[in-house]
This record gives sequence, C-alpha cells and structure tokens, in this order.
Amino acid sequence: MELTLWTYEGPPHVGAMRIASSMKGIHYVLHAPQGDTYADLLFTMIERRGERPPVTYTTFQARDLGGDTAELVKGHIREAVERFNPEALLVGESCTAELIQDQPGSLAHGMGLDLPIINLELPAYSKKENWGAAETFYQLVRGLLKDKVDGQTTHDPRAWKQEERNPKVNLLGPSLLGFRCRDDILEIKKLLNEHDIDVAVVAPLGATTADLLEIPKSDINVCLYPEISESTCNWLEKNFGMPFSHTVPIGVGATKDFLTEIHKLLDLPLKPNNANNESKLTWYSQSVDSNYLTGKRVFIFGDGTHAIAAARIAKQELGFEVVGLGTYSREMARPVRKAAEAIGLKALISNDYLEVESAISEAAPELVLGTQMERHCAKRLGIPCAVISTPMHVQDVPARYSPQMGWEGSNVIFDDWVHPLMMGLEEHLIGMFRHDFEFTDGHQSHLGHLGAGKAATDNSSLTESQKEDKAISESVNLDSPIWTPEGKEELSKIPFFVRGKVRKNTEKYARQAGCRKIDSETMLDAKAHFKG
Amino acid sequence: MTSTLNRPSDGQGSVQVHQDPSVQIQEGALVIAVYGKGGIGKSTTSSNLSAAFSKLGKKVLQIGCDPKHDSTFTLTHKMVPTVIDILEEVDFHSEELRPEDFMFQGFNGVMCVESGGPPAGTGCGGYVTGQTVKLLKEHHLLEDTDVVIFDVLGDVVCGGFAAPLQHANYCLIVTANDFDSIFAMNRIVAAIQAKAKNYKVRLGGVVANRSAETDQIDKFNERTGLKTMAHFRDVDAIRRSRLKKCTIFEMEPTEDVLEVQNEYLSLAKKLSESVQALEAEPLKDREIFDLLGFD
Repeated sequence: MELTLWTYEGPPHVGAMRIASSMKGIHYVLHAPQGDTYADLLFTMIERRGERPPVTYTTFQARDLGGDTAELVKGHIREAVERFNPEALLVGESCTAELIQDQPGSLAHGMGLDLPIINLELPAYSKKENWGAAETFYQLVRGLLKDKVDGQTTHDPRAWKQEERNPKVNLLGPSLLGFRCRDDILEIKKLLNEHDIDVAVVAPLGATTADLLEIPKSDINVCLYPEISESTCNWLEKNFGMPFSHTVPIGVGATKDFLTEIHKLLDLPLKPNNANNESKLTWYSQSVDSNYLTGKRVFIFGDGTHAIAAARIAKQELGFEVVGLGTYSREMARPVRKAAEAIGLKALISNDYLEVESAISEAAPELVLGTQMERHCAKRLGIPCAVISTPMHVQDVPARYSPQMGWEGSNVIFDDWVHPLMMGLEEHLIGMFRHDFEFTDGHQSHLGHLGAGKAATDNSSLTESQKEDKAISESVNLDSPIWTPEGKEELSKIPFFVRGKVRKNTEKYARQAGCRKIDSETMLDAKAHFKG
Repeated sequence: MTSTLNRPSDGQGSVQVHQDPSVQIQEGALVIAVYGKGGIGKSTTSSNLSAAFSKLGKKVLQIGCDPKHDSTFTLTHKMVPTVIDILEEVDFHSEELRPEDFMFQGFNGVMCVESGGPPAGTGCGGYVTGQTVKLLKEHHLLEDTDVVIFDVLGDVVCGGFAAPLQHANYCLIVTANDFDSIFAMNRIVAAIQAKAKNYKVRLGGVVANRSAETDQIDKFNERTGLKTMAHFRDVDAIRRSRLKKCTIFEMEPTEDVLEVQNEYLSLAKKLSESVQALEAEPLKDREIFDLLGFD
C-alpha cells in the first residue's frame, strides 16, 4: 500500500458495493467508519442512479471504539434485515474496520437469521476494487449454489439438441461502474439472438438471487468481463462442468472470434455472416479517405480487458502503430504482457498515474487511449485522447446507446477514437497557418483554452507548437547549432507532433556535418540524409 | 485485606497474539499436521497418507512446509518450485499468480504445494506457511477440498513449527521405536497442548515408523495417554518407492507392499471416520529419562 492522490481502483469493499448495487434484492452491511460512506457518490454521481446503493454502514465513531463495536454491528444487521427484507445479505468490512477485527461475518452467522448470509473477507491492504467485485460475485454464486453441486459433472453443452430448443447461455460479468456494461448487454443479446442463441441469466447487473440459482440450467457461460467473472466461471466449470467462453467481443475481429468460439462450445454450425449486420468499421477502413489514420502512433492504458482489445483493434483493424500498452490491473498483468510482447513492446504494469504519464510523454504518441486519468494527462501534454476503460467520468456514461462490444460497439469505438484524432489535426493546421496574413490571433485549437495566439509566459499555458518554438529559442548552448530565422520558420511549418523529432534529427545531422547554423538548406540536406 | 481482580480470559487484554482470522481454513476440511523428529519419515508418511486419502475418493491437498521442498516429490515425481520462489518471480505481487503456478497435480489428483522458506537460521518459516495458506485461500483452493495435510519441517522449533498448528484439526506424530525420536515426540506433545488452549488443534495419534518393535513407544504412550494409530515396519518397499520417486501405491503389488498400502488406507479411514482427540500429558525431561533410560 502507498499514499497517493489518485488511484485507478478503489478498495475491495467498493467492488463489493458494485455487485450489491448491480443486483436486485441484495443488501450489504458494511462495517465502516463514518467517512467511508463517500462511496455512495460513485453510484449517484457517475452512474447517475436513481437510488442510493443498498448498503447499510455501521458508521462507528471514535467514541464507539471504547465500547462494544460488535454489538453495534449486530444492531445494524438486525435493522437492515427488518427494514429492507433482502433475499440475501452480504456482510463485510472496510479497510479501517478490518483493523478492529470484529469479524462481522461470523457475528451475522451467529444471529440465527433466516436468509443466506455471505461473509466477505476482502483483504483491504493487499487487494483492490475489481478483485473485491470478483470475489463478492464468486462468494455469492458459490454461496447460493454450492448445495446443488452433486459431484456429477455430466453437464452437456449440447443438451439443447435433444431438448429441441434454442441453445441457452448466461452473460456473466456486467456490473455497475463497469465500462458501458448496460449497452454491451443489449448488443451481445442482439448478436446472439441473430444466431438463434437465447440469453438466459445476465448477472450480476439486474439479477436476483433466483436468477443466480438458474445459472447451471443454461448450456454455457459467457465470461464477458474476466476481471469480474472469471473466477466464478472457473468455479461453475469445475463444479457443474459448464464450459465458458474466453473471447471478449470488442472489435470486429474479436466479435468474429467470439461467435466462432460460442458456436464451437455449443456444437452449433455458424451461419454465414450477414453483411448488413456487421460493423461499418471495415467499410470505413476500406474507404479512400481512411488512410490518413494509417500509422498513427497510439498509447494504450486501461483495465486488462479493454487495453488488450484496444491494442488488437488499433493494430489489426485501424492500422495504427501501438507505441505503448499497459494496465493498472495486476491480476491481468500476464495477458497484457503477452499482448504487448506480440507487438514488440514491453507492457507497463503500474498503478502509479505519474509513471504512466511519464511513459506517455516518453513515447510521444499522437493519440492516447486510456482511462479518465490518461485523459487528464493527455490534456496536459496536448495529445488527443479517448477513454476506453474504467475509471471513468460522468461524460463516459453517456445517455445514448453506446456499447463497446459487438458490431455496434466497433462503430462506437471507431467514432470515439477517430474524432479526437481529426480534431487533433486542427492543432497542426493552426501551427501551419499561424504565419498567414489572414490568420487571426486568438484562434483556439480543440486542445483547450491554450489558444495559439495567447500571450504566454510559462510552459503550462503554451500550446505544443509554442513549446517547441520556445525550446528552439532556448536551445542556444555551446555545442548546439544555431537556428537561423529562416530555418526556424521552415521548422515551424512542420506539424507539431513530429517537429521535436525533426529538430533533434536536423541538429544531429548539423553536428555530424559540422554546420554551425541551420537554415532551410540544412534542413533539406538533413531530410535527404535521414531518408537515404 | 487485598483482593485479586479476576483475570480476563485469554484474548481480552492478554498478550497472546491470535492468528489473523482471515487466514483460517474453514468449511469442514479435515486438516492434519504431520510432526516428528528430523529424518524420521514425515514426508514419506504424508505423501503416502495423501495418496491413501485420494484412494478413498477424497479431494486432498498436501502442503510441504520444509525449505528443502521435497515433501510432495513422490506425488508429483519431480521437485516443484516453491511458493516463495514463485512469489519472488512476480516481485511478491501475489495478484499476478494463477493456481497452476504454485499448485501441482500429483498422484491420483492429489494437489501439491511446497511453501518453501528461508535458508536455515534466517527469516521465518511461520511467515512462509502463513503466506502460503493466504494464497491458497485467495485462489479458493481450500474451499472444495476434503483433506489438507501439512508436512511440517522437523528440525526447527520456531514459527515454521507453530504455524500449521493454527490451522490443523489433528496432529499426527511420526516416531521410531528409539529414545531420540520419542524424546522429540514428547516436546511436540507439549507444544501442541500449549496451542490447544487457543486453537482447535488436538492430538490425533502416533505413527510408529521404520520399527519392527514398538515396546518403547507403547511404554511412552501408556504414561502420557497417546495412542498408536498406524505401525510401519522397516519395509524395504517404502525406501525403494522413495528412490523410484513414487508413492507406495504405485509399487509392484507384492505382499509386503500390499500390507503397507492397507495400513495407510486404514490410517486414512480412521482419521476421516473415527479419530478422537487425545488428552495427553507430556513428561518432564527427567521422567522420560527414567522411563526409557539409555538403552
């Protein structure tokens, strides 16, 4: 554990809250001090929910610690059960309460309550939010279903054939505060229905305890978000013999692979693709105008699932050059490392946003695909950015339909990524035409209120173009060649995102060639030198 | 007149440090810790016992707690990497680990883990055992297991000795019919009785190993209240099975091999069906010398 101003994931009890709030008829008694109730805001502000999470806090204060906190816990449990009459009760503690060692789960079990009680042991000092959510979902599913395990794993994923019905699958993993889960569910349901596959249980989002009991009756499980549901899918496979799918259908290629995998698991012949149903992304990629995207340098950082999917789309479907790939999720470090190695990169595994920021700045990408935090640092660095993963901001929970998965998801991703890039071109246009007589000072690029003409004295309020100019004029040290006004003007015509590189290369050439001054001719020579 | 305040029972204001409750092994798994003097055959006994439990249809997990990490060697037919080795590889970010990194399927589905540990004289073996149990729990490996066997290191009496006692239901003590190993057994009994005040651990019984006779053991048992649960003579097949890197259940079924197999099966059956906690009273060192002498 370390002190930080900002984290990618909350503590594990926030993960448990996500599961409790996602489901219906569940209540969570959380042994936590007063201040820990702040987590409610994540659900009311970011998800804009119409109700508070179904959580009762024991909200102990300093003076309670001198008394009997165990009695306090029991009182809250009793009240919560009477008032909310839940179908199942989750009992756990927050990081602060873990230190008092009241063991609220054991207390609840000893109270003789007549409902399923799930005791959550979430080590707050070594685990984080996604792990907490996965563990809560696992304990809930296992708690409700373990009595139904009969040791016979004779589950047949092809049973739908004898029973003369459509194949049935469960979608496991979507939750509140996940990335676009609400719309992904609709999109995947639509996709599967087109192939005559029915969706039985969706959990945890929108599920009741009765729904969880139905899980083993389906043919296979679809593990939509491995961060949340992989451990549960593994348990269901081990104990009920239910196979589950591993492909996450984000992107055109992955959606195709997903369909193939699902059909194979169900032993169902895959119908030929209906071109009308497919994503428009492939069509756009083939368009005459699309090649300006080719080779764009992109830096990707997020949760494991979305980062890996983004890398595949960027590299294989849009022809971008991935210059950085990483995740804050230790649980997903392995697959992310593997994905990075496959494209010749070393993955960045870190939950330190400053480390991520310096990696971005080092890689000098033209587009950043990241979380809410990368949006901030991309803004600071003047680089276009699209958010692809949690943690997210209100603006990443749009009112309109905007899935990430399936065919429509690919369309949404295409728009989300390409728009900031096209806007990014404006910045360099402003740079190019700044010296034109028709150009009015004070034009602002999309990169903010850092307009190109604004009088600026410190670097923080300069545009990228101005920073470059400033760097050039400040670079008068003894071994650096001097830029003539003519050379400077020539350099300023070069788009800002490659200007730094051109400047360094030209200076390197000048030093090698023994030029003390750089004018437009030196620049042409340097260009010829590096191209040859 | 002075009066003494009632001393609160342990756990309220006492200095006894309790185990972190989150690392308790729960849910009805039978947890057995195997103790005994160094070199007495704990690993062989543990592995054959694990194999016997698996033959009875139980889901078994064996945890080797010795830094020399050869406890599960006859089950897996190889030296598997230890939990500490694996944790070092991921810079102690245990979140990165998957069960298949540190848990290996051995003979007849027995799950095998070697906790590993610090080199002799440094670090804390108890910490290593604790970390291992935590890791197994986080990966849900203890939840659907019927029997857990801790093969404890023999030569040291420290945290590494005590940690398994915090998890175990029953302790088995392996001993030969000689003074040294019975002397060690006596100390183990004392340690277990001390732990039993705060934990659920109880004495299961004695495994007489590598001895034709059991007269000394019997004498000791009678005085202390212990009981012998299984008796293995100095059978060459057991020694050869170790050389062949396999359990006794994979040996050619000759008469003496079958006899040993049956003894292990009956021990496993007794442990899962009719084991009773023994109330044994350890002897003082002087008493044990007087009892068994120097012969």
